Formats: sequence, C-alpha cells, structure tokens
Amino acid sequence: MLSRVLAVTRKTLSQFRHDRRTVGFIIVMPLLMVVVFGYTFGGEVHNVRTLVINEDAGFLGFRVSDRLLENITEDTLALETWTQGPAAARAEVVAGRAWAVLAFPANFTENLLNTNLSDTSTVDVVLDGSSPTIVSAVLGKLRAAAERVFAAGGVAPFSLERDFVYGSDGTRFIDSFAPGVVALAVLMVTTIFSVIMVVREKAGGMLERLFATPLRPFELVLGLALALAVIAFLQSVVVLGAALLLFQVKVVGNLGLAFAILLLFGIGNQGLGIMLSAAAKNELQAIQFVPLILFPSLLLTGVFFPLEAIPSGLRPLSYVVPLTYASDALHSVMLRGWGVVEVGLDILILIFYDALMLLGAAVFVRRQA
Amino acid sequence: MPREGGPAVTCDGLVKRFGDVEALAGVSLDIPSGITFGLLGPNGAGKTTLLRIWLGLTAPNSGTAKVLGSNIPPRSVLPRIGYMPQDLAVYLDLTVEENLALFGRLVGMEDDAIDARTDEVLGLVDLSGRRKSLVSTLSGGMRRRTSLAATLLHDPDLLLLDEPTVGVDPELRASFWTYFKQLTARGKTVLITTHYMEEASRCDMVALVHRGRLLARDTPAAIKDHTGAANLDDAFLALVREASL
Repeated sequence: MLSRVLAVTRKTLSQFRHDRRTVGFIIVMPLLMVVVFGYTFGGEVHNVRTLVINEDAGFLGFRVSDRLLENITEDTLALETWTQGPAAARAEVVAGRAWAVLAFPANFTENLLNTNLSDTSTVDVVLDGSSPTIVSAVLGKLRAAAERVFAAGGVAPFSLERDFVYGSDGTRFIDSFAPGVVALAVLMVTTIFSVIMVVREKAGGMLERLFATPLRPFELVLGLALALAVIAFLQSVVVLGAALLLFQVKVVGNLGLAFAILLLFGIGNQGLGIMLSAAAKNELQAIQFVPLILFPSLLLTGVFFPLEAIPSGLRPLSYVVPLTYASDALHSVMLRGWGVVEVGLDILILIFYDALMLLGAAVFVRRQA
Repeated sequence: MPREGGPAVTCDGLVKRFGDVEALAGVSLDIPSGITFGLLGPNGAGKTTLLRIWLGLTAPNSGTAKVLGSNIPPRSVLPRIGYMPQDLAVYLDLTVEENLALFGRLVGMEDDAIDARTDEVLGLVDLSGRRKSLVSTLSGGMRRRTSLAATLLHDPDLLLLDEPTVGVDPELRASFWTYFKQLTARGKTVLITTHYMEEASRCDMVALVHRGRLLARDTPAAIKDHTGAANLDDAFLALVREASL
C-alpha cells in the first residue's frame, strides 16, 4: 500500500518539477501576498472584550471614571464590569479570552480633582499586545474619552500604565498578520492545485486507468496529499522566510510547531480541493471555485483583523471556516509563544478537518473514475 | 496455432443501464486464454462498458463475471491485467519513462525490473530514443504508443486494449500485431475492441456486439461461413439484419 502511495507522490512531484511556470507561481504568489499585505493593511476593530475594574471611590458621589467610561463611544470596545479582582482579570487576558483590562484605583477621582496633591491619577491598563490593532483601539478610545471629559484639552491629566501580556507596543501589523498570511498562502496553493490536478486526471481518462491497477482511491488521495504537503512546506519556508527577512517579523514561539500546524491545515485543504473537483468538469470550472474558498477565508477568519472585527452576525460563519483555527493557532504560537497544549483545541479541530476531508475525497474520487 | 487454455474471461447475463439507456442487455460470453480476441461493434455498442465491468470500474445492474478466475471486481488479479483505455490516459507533463515507472510501481514492480522492461517495451513501440522526452512534446501517434508501452510494461497475462491502433500508422500497426501473436504464443490473452473489420479479421476469435447484445462469437472464418458473406463487414451487416427481424 505504501509503495503505491509513494508512487503517486513521486509522479506528482515530477509533474511539478517539469512545470517551471507552476513552480514560479508557487513561490512568487505567496511572496507577493506577504509584500502587498505587509505594506498596505490596517483595520478597524469592534467589540474588543475589555474588562473594567472600577474601584474609584469618587468625590462627593461624583466619579470621573464613570464619565470616562460613558465617553468610550461606538462599539470598538465591549466593556464588561469585572468584580473578581485584578489578578483574575489579567488571567483572562493571559488565557486569550479578553484583550484588555482597565483598572481605576480608589483615589482616581480624588487625585484628579485635588490639584494640590502631587500624586497623579492612574488607570492601569492590561493589554494583549500581540495585536497592535487592538492595542491602538483600546488606548485610542481611552484617550479620546479623556479628551472629551477634560474639554480643556492639551495634556491628559493622567497616564496609562501599560502591561503587555504578549507582544509590545512595538508590535506591528505585519508581525500580527504574518501567521495568517502564511496560512492563507498554504490554503490557496493546496486547494487550487488539488482541484486542478484531479480535474486534469479526470479529463484525460487518467483516473480510470489508475483504478484499473491495484491503486485504491484513498491511496491516490494520500499520495497526492503527501506531494502537496511537500509543496506546502516549501512554500511555508518561502513565506516565513520573506516575512522574517523583509519585514523582520518577530516570532517568539516554536517554528517547528508552526510548520506542523501548516501541514495539518494543508492536508485538509487538499481533500477539500479534491471534493470540489467532483463538481467541476474542467479546469476552467475548477478555477471558479477559487473565490468561493478565498473570500470567506480572507474576510471571516481573523487573518488580517481579529475575529472581533467581524460583524457579530457573521461571526458564527467564522467558526466554520478552517482557516480560522489554523490562523488562530499560528498567531498564538508565533506571537504569544504558546505550545502544543495551549493550541490543542485548534490542532484537534484541524486533525478532524483532515480526517473528514480525506475521507470525503476518497469517496468522491472513487465516483469520478 | 496458439494454444487454448481455460477461459481468461467469462460473463453471464450482464446487464448495465445508464438511466433509460440499456448499454448491455444480458451479455454472456467466454474468452479462452492464449488467443487474440476481437470485441467488434460500432461506437456505442457496449464494448467499453464490458471492459469497464471486467476491470471492476463499474458494477453491472445484474449478471456475473470472472476475470482470470476471479469474480468481479477482480482486485486480486489486477496486477496481471494490462488495460489501455480509449482515452490517451498518460500524463502529458511527465516523461515517457516517468509514466511507465508510475504504472510499474502501482502493480508492484521493483525499480530495477521497471528500468529493464522500459528498454524492452520502448523498443517494441519504437520509442527508444524518446525515453526522457516529455509526453507533451510527442506526436499523437507517439503518445498512443507510450500508452501501449505502459500497458505492456508488467508483462500482463491479460491485455484489455480499447481501440489500441487508432492513430497508429499501418507499418507500426503491423508490428503491433506481430507482437500480439508473440504474446499469445506465450499463453497471454490479448483482447482488443475495434470497429475496424479489417483489424478484427486478424483475431483468432471475435465477438460481434450490437446495441448491448452479443450477435455472434466464433472465428472470423466461421462467421463468414455461417453468414455466407465474403468479408466480416458483410457478415456483420447480415447478423444485424437477422437480429432485428
């Protein structure tokens, strides 16, 4: 069985080797994606879960902290009153369940109003700095609210004490979405190439001939998956290399684990591609599936913006798109330095995705012969 | 005279429907081993469907079949069968030898054996000089010959060749036939589908198929005798007329 799987892998890699233009495409396309996205992207966020610990004792029943919070407008931050103390609040951020904590101390209003005191008022801000979009959103909203409250303008009457759980205020957009772009590049290549390859074999009568040998459908699917895994791996090296060299992207986690996640993701996509090819009669039709995969993956998955940037009505769809999990796992590994245990759920979901897609692919391929 | 053994293929009452179309309407047939056997009939007669059923590529609606002693689908004997589909079915973006190596590996041949046999079969189909050429750079006839070479590589006991000589020039066609006769002399069975009566007359035995029915199965000479026709073309027409009466 293994010899037949490897026979398919070898012939597929030979096909790529003879096709210079495709090899160029495999390398140039993801490079282009990294460069273009690296220079152009920003993004707005919504409903960033922010915990508020308000211990402000106020002055004669008046609390400046309340006025500030009222002036945090629009839906950028989802403010949530937190009563379980600062340590538990910070733990929420560490666990990735909240992005920020705003803590107002008991003397916040008093220090502000009593200009004779040398003590300045402080808001303690705990931040997950692995996403600069979020950091600037949280700090920006707070500053804007302060400006509104103290209409006099000029220097803010208090300073923000920042505590970055992950990343720093030096974390750039490119740092934060490099993992997503890598995953997206792998998605593009594995899905598109598997669709095209299977359609090509169907059209040329190849599948029929292959299945007149002892080759079983799942052996063919595994052989193709293995070949594409090699391609996806090479491509990940190119993309990550470009991100590291051109943009000095910071990676704090284990690169080996990042590659493993990419491979798991790539294998599932390949199965998806084969199933889509069942619905395509020729290469032209197959190409039409590309936007079908690309758009949800680009827009719904937190690759370029955190999931919080996605309208809440569409958010459930995000959890159906596999790139969401690949991107989340890569983000956590590369920027937060998380290990296998912390991204375990993402990895389990990706393994499930692989199993489901490969099984489906084997069934569909059999039908096409 | 080629020797005859037990049947290479037998089938009984094969029926295959595609929607409302009855591609096979109860075909019973046995094909002795060690001969060249022609499956003859116009396009759409059901020849390819028969081959596909024997290979296990599609299941009949009813009926039974045995290939090399194995019930369909004949998984266990697939490595002993060489199938050349009507479509080209070789990878254009691989070289000639890479195509052959793939099919050799799929039937379990070792790389050394593949290498040696590649020389042999490419000599046979007159492609020795193109071993390392990409198939996409070859002419139509050369591509067909590559496909035949891939079928012959593992020296199968049963060859199922669907229209193998289409697009092959007369000189080369003659050399194919010389080789087919050599194979049957070694006890191999060569089954060819064709709608060329001239080609069918070279076979040791032929079966005439028309609209999913078997009209006759005999030696070409016996069929001509039986119908009193001067050639297989006329014999075929006579049998079709007889069947539709």
